[in-house]
Amino acid sequence: MSSERHVGTHRHHTSVSYPMSLHQRIYTLVIVPILGLFLTFILIHAFGSHAESTEISRLSIVGALAATFGRLLVAYVFALLFSLPLALLVTRNAFAERVFLPLFDVIQSLPMLAFFPVVIVFFVHFGMYNGAAIFILFTAMLWNIVFSLVSGLHSIPAEIKAAGHIFGLHGLAFARKILVPASVPYLITGSILAFAQGWNIVIVAEVLHTYLPGSTTAIDLYGIGSVLVHASADGQQQTFLAAILALVVVIALCNFFIWQKLLHHAEKYKFE
Amino acid sequence: MLKNTNSNNIIQLHDVAKTYESSNTPALKSVSFDVEKEEFLCLIGPSGCGKSTILKIIAGLDAATTGTVATPPNISMVFQNGALLPWLTVYENVALGLRSKKIPDAEVARLVKKHLEMVSLQDFASKYPRELSGGQRQRVGIARALAVEPSVLLLDEPFSALDPKTTDELHQDILRIWHETRVTIVMVSHLIEEAVSLADRVILIKDGTVSEIFTIPLPYPRREHTETFAEIVRRVRSKFFA
Repeated sequence: MSSERHVGTHRHHTSVSYPMSLHQRIYTLVIVPILGLFLTFILIHAFGSHAESTEISRLSIVGALAATFGRLLVAYVFALLFSLPLALLVTRNAFAERVFLPLFDVIQSLPMLAFFPVVIVFFVHFGMYNGAAIFILFTAMLWNIVFSLVSGLHSIPAEIKAAGHIFGLHGLAFARKILVPASVPYLITGSILAFAQGWNIVIVAEVLHTYLPGSTTAIDLYGIGSVLVHASADGQQQTFLAAILALVVVIALCNFFIWQKLLHHAEKYKFE
Repeated sequence: MLKNTNSNNIIQLHDVAKTYESSNTPALKSVSFDVEKEEFLCLIGPSGCGKSTILKIIAGLDAATTGTVATPPNISMVFQNGALLPWLTVYENVALGLRSKKIPDAEVARLVKKHLEMVSLQDFASKYPRELSGGQRQRVGIARALAVEPSVLLLDEPFSALDPKTTDELHQDILRIWHETRVTIVMVSHLIEEAVSLADRVILIKDGTVSEIFTIPLPYPRREHTETFAEIVRRVRSKFFA
């Protein structure tokens, strides 16, 4: 244990501290979409082709975004449900840690997209096209949360655990009253990483036909990922631009209304 | 060594040794001593001597590798850095041990109020630990430990992270609480003056074993500037650094 808690010592802050001021938050809300749009615009003008064909309507971009977001959400809920037991298992004792942590490390470092063709064949066999994409998103999200939680559980001061034991908390009560609340800040950062990873993967995960030999774009999932890929392949600049803008705006809004608020809330659960 | 069967002893350690799995050298070689009911005992010694390990074994946080340990069931503890849960209010922190005993809410409320008053923090019940000063947090830690009405109170260097003025105030508080509750106290400290000004007996631990036991015959409140006080401190110091 460090003995940093002298009277009058202030908590160490990184350059950005939470709670962020409203100005800082609005800044991120405005600057991210502007930058994203600006960059895309420049790049399209510099390198884009000028073929224009059938445009996808604005409404369908919103719909595609909602479909993709739904997929991410389902995958996230599964990742969340699996991650806490896995993290608790790994940190349970030294033996479990020696057995499972290296295993998780290897699994985590495998590029899941490389296995996507196999995953698709499996899910398509059962007619679950969405299942394939959700599964791949789940595997991409899971490890971010698991490893965040593991480092969170490791960072609980020995004194806090000792206090739990002294004051009669054992087993499930110990998990519920000490381990889970202490993990909250790590759960949130893990979730942010998971969603970032998810958005990244979903762009390719919706375009199922590229992974199945002899199939057509008809099996692709309706979502912002497939809209982007098709628009780009067909040279539909405006659709592409609109889809990128919508994507960036949604991510900036998520950041503003969800993650920043949760990060602010997480301060309460941090040890000093 | 004969087993001490004095019924007035609330804690008995006999030939206690401890070697951690991760280490080849024992943390404790052989430790034997008794703690009398209502006594204020202080364990002192240089860092790494094993005094904290003894406290952990008494607390039941660690098991002795060999030897026998007899302790009463209701032991409570105050930690070096408070060990308060940051997500709970002062009230809920103090109630922590009571909640796991399934005590009815009204009784929890009474006990929390009583012990917050004992450390003069009755107006801080709804605050969070981060809103308190270091000394106030340590007081909450003391209230939490007392709320379960323990027969033994363990203090693990509870004042080492505080400034001298706050330390002095907490010394007065802990002596007053000890006189009021007659709880048995075992405290670990690395400060000779602190041990001599608070404890009935001071046990010097060196190299994983009991090196010397000093009885402090001074009445309370102790005057640190008197010659007798200085003489006792000198005597302990000479053995401490011998």
